[in-house]
Parts: sequence; C-alpha cells; structure tokens
Amino acid sequence: MHIPDGYLDPLTCAVTYLISLAVGFYAFKKAKHAPEETKALLPVLAAAIFVAQMLNWPIPGGTSLHLVGGALASILVGPWLAYLAMALVLLTQALIFHDGGITTLGANILNMGVVAVFTGYFVYRLAPEKYKVIASFLAGWLSITLAGIVCGVELGLSSSFLYGLGITVPVMGGWHAVLGVVEGAITAGVYAYLKARHPTLIKG
Amino acid sequence: MSMREYFIKYKKAFTLIGLLLVISPIFGVYLASLIGYHEPLDIAASMLGLNETTEEINWTPLLDYTVPGLPDWLGYIVSGVIGVLVVLVLAFVFLKLTRL
Repeated sequence: MHIPDGYLDPLTCAVTYLISLAVGFYAFKKAKHAPEETKALLPVLAAAIFVAQMLNWPIPGGTSLHLVGGALASILVGPWLAYLAMALVLLTQALIFHDGGITTLGANILNMGVVAVFTGYFVYRLAPEKYKVIASFLAGWLSITLAGIVCGVELGLSSSFLYGLGITVPVMGGWHAVLGVVEGAITAGVYAYLKARHPTLIKG
Repeated sequence: MSMREYFIKYKKAFTLIGLLLVISPIFGVYLASLIGYHEPLDIAASMLGLNETTEEINWTPLLDYTVPGLPDWLGYIVSGVIGVLVVLVLAFVFLKLTRL
C-alpha cells in the first residue's frame, strides 16, 4: 500500500507529513531512553522488514500483496521503535527505489508506521497472556485493515470528486480486510516461533 | 558494538535475510509478472482516475528494484542487497544519534 507520487493532493501530503514528523519527533525522544538491548534490534528488524516487503505474494483473483510488518515490529520492540523501523524502511524504499512517492512519504509513514504499528500494538497488549498468539494474528489482520482504510481516506480526500471517499474507503477497507489475513498469519507464525525459540527477542 | 560483532550476534537473522534476498526474484519478478503486480491501491486509484507521476519525476536509476544493464532477476537481488545495506547504515546512524 505504498502510495506513489501523484495520488495525493498537496494539502493531504502536507497534513500527513506533519503528523508523521510529530510522531517521529516523539519516537526519537522515546528511543533515547529505550533499553540498549531493545534499541539494538532496530537495524536487524528494519533490514528484515525491508526484505520481507520485497516478497510479493500473488493472490488468486488478480491482486497481490506483500507483508507490511508494522504489527510484528511493534510486538517485538514496542510501538516507538517499530515506528522508527518502518520509517527507515519507507524512507529507503522511496529514496533509492522510488517505491512509494516522496510527496506521499508522510502518508505512507502514517499508514504503515503509525496506524499499522499502533493498531497491532494495542490489539496485542490488550489480550490476556494465554491468547497472545491469537492476538498477534488479530494484530496483523486489523493493522492492515485499518491502514488500508486510512489510506482510502487519504486517497478519497485527494480526489476532486465529492464521492471520492465513498469509493476509496470501501474498496481499500474491503480488500485489506481480506489480504490482512495473510499479514495476520505471518505475524502469528513468526511470533509463535520467536516466543518458543527466542523469547528474549520479544520486548514489545 | 562493531558492525562485525553485530552480524555475529544476529547471525541467524542475517542468514535468513540473505536467503530471502536470494529467493526474492521468485516472488518479486517471476510471480509478479505471471499475474501482474496489482494492489488494491491501484484499483482504488484507477476508479478515481488518479494519475501516478513516478516516471515523470523519477530520480533514481534503481526504479522499481531494477539495475540498468542487469536482467530483472539479478537486478532485484542486487537492489535488495543495496536496500538492506542502506537500511542498516541509516539505522546505525540513527542509533548513534539517540546516544548523543
């Protein structure tokens, strides 16, 4: 769901940049006081998310997706460092590969680095201890569904038609509610594996 | 911690990252060309008649994970290696800043 240059109007670009920068400023302050052991996961986590996003999965019915990873990242390192990991990945994708626009970078960070990250985090944290694996599935699923809806809102607000939102929100929300199942399954799979084999890596 | 010590500490994760990079063209080039990479975002945008300006304002020779002169599958792997290195360097620089 990387929005390319050209899809969003200048106002939407500006507002989404401001929100993402404000969260980024706070995340930086939070990162200063995070434990060194957790901070140390940032590079390897960001690198893993970058590579995971290169694996595009074709979905029967003619659409495709790749992992976003925001929910998984927030479960592993907490929402502030997860935001930073996502922002670094999105910045690299935009600058080096023009995957996601430069005018739309703020929106992409908002969708995948804020909405997906914090949605995933809250779903995971609110679940009781014995349901954490199911919660990580729901965290992945809802993170993509809500990020898709917010992305739809941004697109809809950018369209010159009054009915823009009425088209983009159901299309984006509906599709991502379906595709989000894959994100949920991968999030739960990786979480269950790490919890069983490398529990010290889960610091969210 | 030096870069070398870091790679050793997270050897398993970096081995996995390397493996995923090697097989990434199967997903990013072969399977994508089979059905045409087509996200819901593209569907919504075309319903509204929104136009992408990526090609007009492009600045990078590595557009869409290709490397000029290399076949797509190899360009995808090389792009992936470059991307991983850039992400790692940015993350290490960022961590340094948090310790100032």
